[in-house]
Amino acid sequence: MNKAAFYDLDGTLLSCNLVTEYAYYARNDRSLTKSVYQLAKVVLWVPLFLGLDLCSRRLFNTFLFAGYRGMHRDRLIGLADDLFEVTLKPSIFPKAQALINTTRDLGYRNVLVTGTLDFTIRPIALHFGFEEVICNRLEFRNHIANGHFLPPLVAENEKARRIREYAREENIDLAESCAFSDSSADVPMLSAVGYPVATNPTRRLRRVALQKNWPILELRETSSNFPPFLRAAKAL
Amino acid sequence: MKSRTAWQWDPVRGEYQAGQPAPAQGTGEISAVSAFADKTVLLLGGTGFVGKVLLALVLDRFPELKHLVVQVRRKKTMSGEQRFYSDILQSPPLRPTVARVGGENVVRRKVQIVEGDLDQPLCGISPRDIDMLKGKVDIVVNLAGVVDFDPPVNESFETNVYGTQHVIELVRLLNARLVHVSTSYVAGKKNGLVREDVPIEGYFPMRDMQDGRQFSVEKELEWYQRFIAERRNNGSTNSRNTREHLRKAGMDRAESWGWTNTYTYTKSMGEQLIAGTPGLTCAIVRPAIVESSLRFPFAGWNEGFTTSAPLVLMGGQGVKGWPVRDGPLEIIPVDLAAAGILIVTAAVLCGKNKPVYHLASADTNPIALPRLVAFLGMNARYKHKRKRSGNRLANLLKAYVETKVITIKSLQTRRARLHRGLDVIHAMLTLGKTVLGPGKVDPYIKSLRDKRRQIRQQEITVDKFLPFMFHNSFIFETRNIREAAGMLTNEDLKRLQWDPETIDWADYWVNIHTKGIEKWIRPAFPVKG
Repeated sequence: MNKAAFYDLDGTLLSCNLVTEYAYYARNDRSLTKSVYQLAKVVLWVPLFLGLDLCSRRLFNTFLFAGYRGMHRDRLIGLADDLFEVTLKPSIFPKAQALINTTRDLGYRNVLVTGTLDFTIRPIALHFGFEEVICNRLEFRNHIANGHFLPPLVAENEKARRIREYAREENIDLAESCAFSDSSADVPMLSAVGYPVATNPTRRLRRVALQKNWPILELRETSSNFPPFLRAAKAL
Repeated sequence: MKSRTAWQWDPVRGEYQAGQPAPAQGTGEISAVSAFADKTVLLLGGTGFVGKVLLALVLDRFPELKHLVVQVRRKKTMSGEQRFYSDILQSPPLRPTVARVGGENVVRRKVQIVEGDLDQPLCGISPRDIDMLKGKVDIVVNLAGVVDFDPPVNESFETNVYGTQHVIELVRLLNARLVHVSTSYVAGKKNGLVREDVPIEGYFPMRDMQDGRQFSVEKELEWYQRFIAERRNNGSTNSRNTREHLRKAGMDRAESWGWTNTYTYTKSMGEQLIAGTPGLTCAIVRPAIVESSLRFPFAGWNEGFTTSAPLVLMGGQGVKGWPVRDGPLEIIPVDLAAAGILIVTAAVLCGKNKPVYHLASADTNPIALPRLVAFLGMNARYKHKRKRSGNRLANLLKAYVETKVITIKSLQTRRARLHRGLDVIHAMLTLGKTVLGPGKVDPYIKSLRDKRRQIRQQEITVDKFLPFMFHNSFIFETRNIREAAGMLTNEDLKRLQWDPETIDWADYWVNIHTKGIEKWIRPAFPVKG
């Protein structure tokens, strides 16, 4: 049987999040006036987004993706490389690439499981060298986003379900697989594998990790060590 | 990178559809596998952009291939065979394929090289090779041609017209069948749906005007012979002037009949020669504008400077106004074009072919030109935000000023304004030169001259593409190739895909085509500025 390493993205491998990604597209609309309007909307909504994220990741995603309403898919795809270079690449944590390389070298199949949108993911996945991606998609009508997402939303329990489905289809042994995430919303995803790692954890996830005896990894610090199961396997 | 999803992008409706598409099913009336396993194919023009991909596709997808003969022109000191193994097989599209199929030895077992040149009688193949090919070659696939839009008329005639005559002679001598690759744009200056069943012989685009003119290849050849003889008698010794005169003569003649350029005019004559040859079993394949590969041998392979590459590179340089109409651009990725040619070859071998096949995309999945202009603009933004050379303010403006669709009138106004501005700068520099002396001002004058030359070059390039972007709106009917693909066996359909209706144009243009041009074309044709 094969084994896989499942990675969350925002907050885990880089410090950006869905809001900064959305803000980039908003401020790069077709004309200056549209950009200003969209950006003002984002700024006004930030407290709402923060509050929603604390309550429910699902609700947060639903509201955030509604902001894309009216945007042309061509533009979202066409600006993705620029978004990556301007916003995402500089926010990659120092040890993120090393971790991904390590799991690949140890024979794990690297899979990105994220709530981020498909067009944003492409340059990131290519940069890190992910083989497979499980992510969210917007709903479009005649190439224009209508503010909805395509179900099921990749978040919380759905991430764990997609991982199990992936494991079944690809003959992956989940007991031998590992997962990395920063958020307590991903506890189901982390619990689905044999080797969960709380990566740059939020306060809530840190508490859970300590309770469950999960290793804690800080990719923000170059001096932090990888969890023992990766080091031991590498030593072998 | 694979994205796991239950949703499939429908590029025509512009929305996602649930579920995966069912695998294509064929009726099995045509079997490419058995056609290629039993027959010998002679490939002419296998060293060009489409030819290399076709060669790679045959080697990769049809290990059963019995025998392939490839005609290669020698180059000065390099024989055709040396050129094939040291040059063609080492090219980016073929190198990975050759490795995948088991290396050069496997290729040597299946492929035979004959030297030749389309401009010569019997395509320049030696009598010894002709004897060897007689009774052996089942089908000739001719991809050779001069594809420049406006070359000197003699270059185009020698290859696209007389060259086709040589191919016909060869095919008749070998008692073989023929697949001749032409271009969809032989339709000339037309609008709307261009059907595949329009009679070929005597065709000229202005025929519908019923001005009493008749078109015949014989008469055109007489005109050409007369014109060349006159040129010889009154020829200028200045080779640059001669070339320009020959170029203009071809374009004028083409336009007088309603063709867009010398290329489409001479290609149409090649087709008419084939259609007028009695007893020839043949099919004419007409690809639209052939662009970067979609999947095979890898996404983004491109070669040469004759497709939309100049426009993409100019867009990257920051050209902000594009005169395009709100219609589709007829493009087809090179791997789909190669697959289409192979499907037609199999159809001809199985005796199930139609006379003409368009290989195009717009009748099933059109990409509107204004969308492409938006892509050019986003590429310009990406590049100018990262540009470290040149004026920073100019780069910033080029990055953030939106690229727009403009009218022809607006294009002309912009051009006139630009040239007036350059004239004023030139006058000021000339004045400065008299006051300050040449030492300080000459470098600026030289730089201005270079800039003017560059702008003029851009204008010429845009003008060349105007028939395809602005003046005419083509949609080429592709019923015949869809029918032929539907007649393949299910095994064939796993190996050859004809599916332009599934192309996600945004992903193709942004992530495949533009990046392919930046990677493969820009280094070979560095553009200043």
